[in-house]
Amino acid sequence: MSIFSIGLSGLNAARIAFNTTSNNIANVNTPGYNRELPIFAQSGASQGVTVADVQRQFDGYIASQLNAANSKTSGLDAYQTQVSQIDNLLADEDSGLAPLMQKFFGSVATLAGSPADPAARQGVLGSADTLAAQFRSFDQYLADMATGVNGQLSNEVSQINNTARQIADLNTQITLAKAKLGQAPNSLLDQRDQLVADLAQHVNVTATAQDNGTYNISIGNGQPLVSGGRQFTLQVVTSAADPTSTVVGYDDAAGNVVELADSTFTGGTLGGLLMFRDETLNPTRSQLGQLAVSLAQGVNAVHANGIDLDGNAGQAMFGVGNPQAFANQRNTGTASAAVAFDPANGAQLTANDYDLKYDAASNTFTITNLGTGEASSQALGAGNALSVGGVTVTIDDPTQLQDGDRFRVLPTRTAAAGFENLIHDTSAIAAASAAGGSGNNENALALQDLQTQSTVGGKAAFNQAYAGMVSSVGSRTNIIKVNLAAQQSLSDQLMAVQQSQSGVNMDEEAMNLVMYQQYYQANAKVIQTGSTILDTILSLR
Amino acid sequence: MRISTQTLFTQSMRAMNQQQAGLLHVGQQIASGRRVLTPSDDPNAASLAVQVGQAQAITGQYTASRVSARNSLAMETSVLGSVTNAVTSAKTLIIQAASGTLTDVDRASIASQLEGIYDTLVGQANATDGNGRYLFGGYQDGTTPFVTDPATGGVTYVGDTEVRQERIDASRLMPVADNGQNVFQGAQGTTGFMAVADPANAGSVTLNGTPSVANQADPDFGHGFTIAFAVDPATGDATYTITDQATGAAGPAQAYTAGQPIQYAGLALSPTGTPADGDSIDVDQARNLNTDVFKTIEKALAVLKTPADTDAKRAALQNTLGNVMTELDNSLNNVSMVQASVGSRLNELDVVDSVAANRQINYAQTKSDLVDLDYTTAISDYTLRQVGLQAAQKTFMSMTQMNLFNLM
Repeated sequence: MSIFSIGLSGLNAARIAFNTTSNNIANVNTPGYNRELPIFAQSGASQGVTVADVQRQFDGYIASQLNAANSKTSGLDAYQTQVSQIDNLLADEDSGLAPLMQKFFGSVATLAGSPADPAARQGVLGSADTLAAQFRSFDQYLADMATGVNGQLSNEVSQINNTARQIADLNTQITLAKAKLGQAPNSLLDQRDQLVADLAQHVNVTATAQDNGTYNISIGNGQPLVSGGRQFTLQVVTSAADPTSTVVGYDDAAGNVVELADSTFTGGTLGGLLMFRDETLNPTRSQLGQLAVSLAQGVNAVHANGIDLDGNAGQAMFGVGNPQAFANQRNTGTASAAVAFDPANGAQLTANDYDLKYDAASNTFTITNLGTGEASSQALGAGNALSVGGVTVTIDDPTQLQDGDRFRVLPTRTAAAGFENLIHDTSAIAAASAAGGSGNNENALALQDLQTQSTVGGKAAFNQAYAGMVSSVGSRTNIIKVNLAAQQSLSDQLMAVQQSQSGVNMDEEAMNLVMYQQYYQANAKVIQTGSTILDTILSLR
Repeated sequence: MRISTQTLFTQSMRAMNQQQAGLLHVGQQIASGRRVLTPSDDPNAASLAVQVGQAQAITGQYTASRVSARNSLAMETSVLGSVTNAVTSAKTLIIQAASGTLTDVDRASIASQLEGIYDTLVGQANATDGNGRYLFGGYQDGTTPFVTDPATGGVTYVGDTEVRQERIDASRLMPVADNGQNVFQGAQGTTGFMAVADPANAGSVTLNGTPSVANQADPDFGHGFTIAFAVDPATGDATYTITDQATGAAGPAQAYTAGQPIQYAGLALSPTGTPADGDSIDVDQARNLNTDVFKTIEKALAVLKTPADTDAKRAALQNTLGNVMTELDNSLNNVSMVQASVGSRLNELDVVDSVAANRQINYAQTKSDLVDLDYTTAISDYTLRQVGLQAAQKTFMSMTQMNLFNLM
């Protein structure tokens, strides 16, 4: 082996090393780029140097840890973005529901002061209108958020499908390249790892590297999303249990759409949105509805005891949206359910939804409070009715029930949306306790006293219930903020660890440039020296 | 540990972001004066603030009710003042009329003065508030409570016995009026007895004042009773029989001697004059007899307008005027009692007002403690974060300038 070829191998190696360093410098800001290192090796039996590999500095273990952390962070981030909107809605003291309820009862107190005064009566109607309108607009805000969340879910799912498609494609390309070249190009591997990282931002996934170099990606309980070159898609579907809600469906290998429980998704934007919807948005809407129903039932009951200026018993003052009940679309039976408020058991009304499951053997329903998880058993009573937390559920035809049939009951979800003042005639306000006394204010006093009674769920006054809502949204937002900050710093730390391995350091690359320059010059010197030696020998003639 | 150049930038950026976010938050707090900007800043304080706000609002409601209550009661007390004056004037006139030296003409003149007072009283009894609602009609405040019967000229009460109340404090429902029955037809605080001669009496029995209490321990004390006279047509001797109105028991016939006390149920009465057969006198507690001030004056007017030309008429005049004086005294007492109760209610309103004002100050303080900003802390916090942000910026600049490429 000649000194020339040794020198040449050095020059070649130096050139490759230059390329690597230049590539590192060029990609310093490229997302998903992993720093590359030339691996020098002695040239086999002969002498000289060879670059055995341009090695990608990538640690799958750290990458999967970072992805998991980022998945949680982006989930909490999505949650926080949403919940902050409700938090901000409740922040304004002057436009909240509390002052409007106070104004309503204040106008009732004024009415008690001069029960026949048309101005005082108009005041009650005006404040009742404003209160009802604010309840509706509050609910509309939440309903709009629910629509927004549903829209975002579709968006997330299509992004997940796209990304999964690209990963599956890359799997195929990498397999081909490996078959052709024995080794896949680093750029393809970087791209695929970056896609997995992107995917983790949307949904919590597990990536498993296979012996053939492909990645298998699975979600939730292990359902494969990508398997080699094959992709399984997700889609947003209407829930079989609750047609007002959308859930994520999974297209399995057999071509069936399987509904995935919301709890499957614990991370990623998708998981964050679902968690927000189930944990905060729907419960807050139902709490608002519960408050609306309690207010309406309380005021209407007292109002009905009174007599208006025309000598008639008071009509209902407030109307609310009706409770909802749905038969599960997968029911084998064809029985349907109707539901109505049960003012006699108004104190049992909760802000929770209920699941009813029919058991044919015992001919009873298992009633599960989906908020607390409490379950109880009840047989159909008179009129095929079940009493469920302040509402009455009626089964139209019990003979059509099949074992395992389920019904979903939403007592107060849309109650606030239908909250309205039903009285528009000042003389229809029943301020009196008996007919014929225009100065009789006893019923107005009774209405005024409602504000201090424990009416909501039998244990809280209206304003306390509202304060409870403020507190629960506030706490939830606060918890999410704190968790997000903690999770963010965990992500940051893991990112720094990942970067310490795979990231490019400019100082290091500058030094490498100097080092490879000297290396190149030295090898050139070797060739020059070889040439000088040869010249010396040749000049010996 | 290797630090990648990207880490250097992203971490510096994150640090500056955090400092900026903190600075913005304190800035918002300072601008709004509130420590709790959204419920999530302090969920507990935010929900407590809602409840304190509710307490404030309710206290404010009761304050408004007190204004309305004070208004009604002040109006009532001024009307009651006029009523007291009118009744006192009526009493003075009756004392004049009772003088034995007056002629029928004098009495007719007094009667016309008394009629004026009567009309004034009716007017006061039908007084209205600023909104045209009658003060003394009870719940029937939309219709005239004291109506004059065009046939008899007498006044009857058509209001009810209710009293409107307002919630002036959490645990206090205060009556903000008194009904006409209580004011003009009541006899609160009256404990005395009265003897009333039957207006149909044909004799000249004169009562000579109210019965005197001789023995409160008498088992029948407090019972009303009737003294019925009988005159033997043959001898002309007069006897009387006493019938207890409570038990229905009739006593034996006893000889009547003018000026000699007749005693029953612990009471003594010394009528004078000569009874006719069938004449009678009712004796009872004054509150069980006529307590209607209008009836009292109507009664006086009737006798004052009638010429006293016989012994029987003179006796009727004297008896009626005597009764009227007692009844007017009782009515005056009654109105004074109502007036005192109105006064004490007005007083109570003042007391509750000052308590509520204190309470409002406490609520405002509590709410401020819960959600408002401590400026000293906030401003020092602001300065601190400012320093932090500047430090982060300077560090970033100097770190990024330290680059090997700069030296090549």
